[in-house]
Amino acid sequence: MSDNVPSPKLRLSGVSKSFLAPRTGLSTLAVAEMSLDIQTGEFICIVGPSGCGKSTVLNMIAGLEVATEGVIQKDGQAVTEPGADRGVMFQDYALMPWQTVEGNVGFGLRYGTPGQHLNKAQRNQRIAHFIDLVGLRGSEHKYPHQLSGGMRQRVALARLLANGPDILLLDEPLGALDAQTRLILQAELLRIWGETAPVTERKTAIFITHDIEEAVLLADRVVVMSTNPGRVREVVTIDLPRPRAGKARTHPRFGVLVEHIWSLIRDEAYRAIGGDESLANPTEEATA
Amino acid sequence: MTNRPLDHRALVWVRKLVLPVMLIAVWQFWASTLPTGSPAPAPLKVLQTLGDLLSTGSLLSATVQSLGRVVLGFAMASVLGIALGLMMGASQAVRENLDPIIESFRPIAPMAILPIAILWLGTGTPTALAIVAYASFFPVIINTVHGVSRVDRKLVLAARTMGISRWTILTRVVLPGALPSIVLGTRLAMGVAWTAIIAAELAVGAKSGGGGSGGIGQMMFVFYAYNIDLNAIVVCMAVVGVVALLIDQLFRLVEKRLIPWKA
Repeated sequence: MSDNVPSPKLRLSGVSKSFLAPRTGLSTLAVAEMSLDIQTGEFICIVGPSGCGKSTVLNMIAGLEVATEGVIQKDGQAVTEPGADRGVMFQDYALMPWQTVEGNVGFGLRYGTPGQHLNKAQRNQRIAHFIDLVGLRGSEHKYPHQLSGGMRQRVALARLLANGPDILLLDEPLGALDAQTRLILQAELLRIWGETAPVTERKTAIFITHDIEEAVLLADRVVVMSTNPGRVREVVTIDLPRPRAGKARTHPRFGVLVEHIWSLIRDEAYRAIGGDESLANPTEEATA
Repeated sequence: MTNRPLDHRALVWVRKLVLPVMLIAVWQFWASTLPTGSPAPAPLKVLQTLGDLLSTGSLLSATVQSLGRVVLGFAMASVLGIALGLMMGASQAVRENLDPIIESFRPIAPMAILPIAILWLGTGTPTALAIVAYASFFPVIINTVHGVSRVDRKLVLAARTMGISRWTILTRVVLPGALPSIVLGTRLAMGVAWTAIIAAELAVGAKSGGGGSGGIGQMMFVFYAYNIDLNAIVVCMAVVGVVALLIDQLFRLVEKRLIPWKA
């Protein structure tokens, strides 16, 4: 324990995960020897080609899957099971279809550990606060099937925040949205995460995405993963100034960082879609 | 122009009623060609018998008795079926133990357990309840297990990340997730139960020699075996049909109430 280095919020040390195929009994290594320290208030994006084990890493941090080898520690404590201190936002939102917007946002507060110390009035106040924060006032009594994709995503975000987790785990939350909605929600996500607030007031966020530009826009550091087995290829520090919402894309460093990350995963991305290897290294003319 | 939708709706009703009305007219015409005193049923005689049976109150009390047995037997089967179905859906060990038993009883028709039921429980209400409960148990449990197995696993995982206990997940995620399927199962069960009670009362009526088993099925048996009144039998058949239709409509209403998220 040294005093000058802050202890990380989250530490992955030598984490591996292999899956057994139920029929053949063969084991496949999904994530190999991943080590990473994440500080409080950091925004980490994980990018990589399909099948690089991004979601597996997130599920292990959430405690939904157990690492085959290695240890995941949160605040120095080993993660062994799911808990409301690590909130997850799933790719397809995982909203309860039988609950209204209000019921979904308050689901953890009503039935889980996050609302245990609150009385009914305090819970309702908290629910209303987060519905307001994501701009869903007026839709409290609608069911998920009556909402657009962007609105469902907001409900999921409000539910995540209402539970008050220290660590936000976001699994491609914007993946299913159209391009415009996505831009709006990226900016809102940065605002809600606390981009304009001091670092100490920010949540720790781990965000999985396919979209390199999105990763560069949001993250303090981008973890680039490679496939077969999934391992960390490089951790790229994004040195763009904050707040970034609305202006980072025009920064000269933005394109450089995007290009650098793309160069790290290009070969594998082409291979994943069955493309020709030569396409992965285009000539100057082809890119022009 | 403005009342056109109304006209359209009326037209639909007219179309639906044309064939039944014609059939009844033909039936009445055929009956009028028979010699007087013929026991063959005729629409006007059926109506007259209906009036008689209603005025003595016997038809109403028999229907109420049958319905009471159906509701009670159905309730017992639903409680047991939903509870076991949830346990089977939630635990693989329970499922693997119960599945072979349920699957081996399922092909045995409710009427096939009647002999044993009569020997053990006699010819009264307990036997009727046993038959109804047995008949409605299978649709309930099978649809509950199916519903639980179809609950989106992501929802259960999401609940676990919110610090929700396993028991609460069962009652607040798995149960509502499976509810559409469970309600469907109970609707099918109620239909089966109503069919089974009539058959059971008919058969028990035969065994007890038209004795005090009661219910509309037994009433039919008496008209068949003792009074030989075909018009009254037709009245009973019509009542059975109308009650079945009403039960189904009632369940559709309940379904809308219980599952508002399935527009």
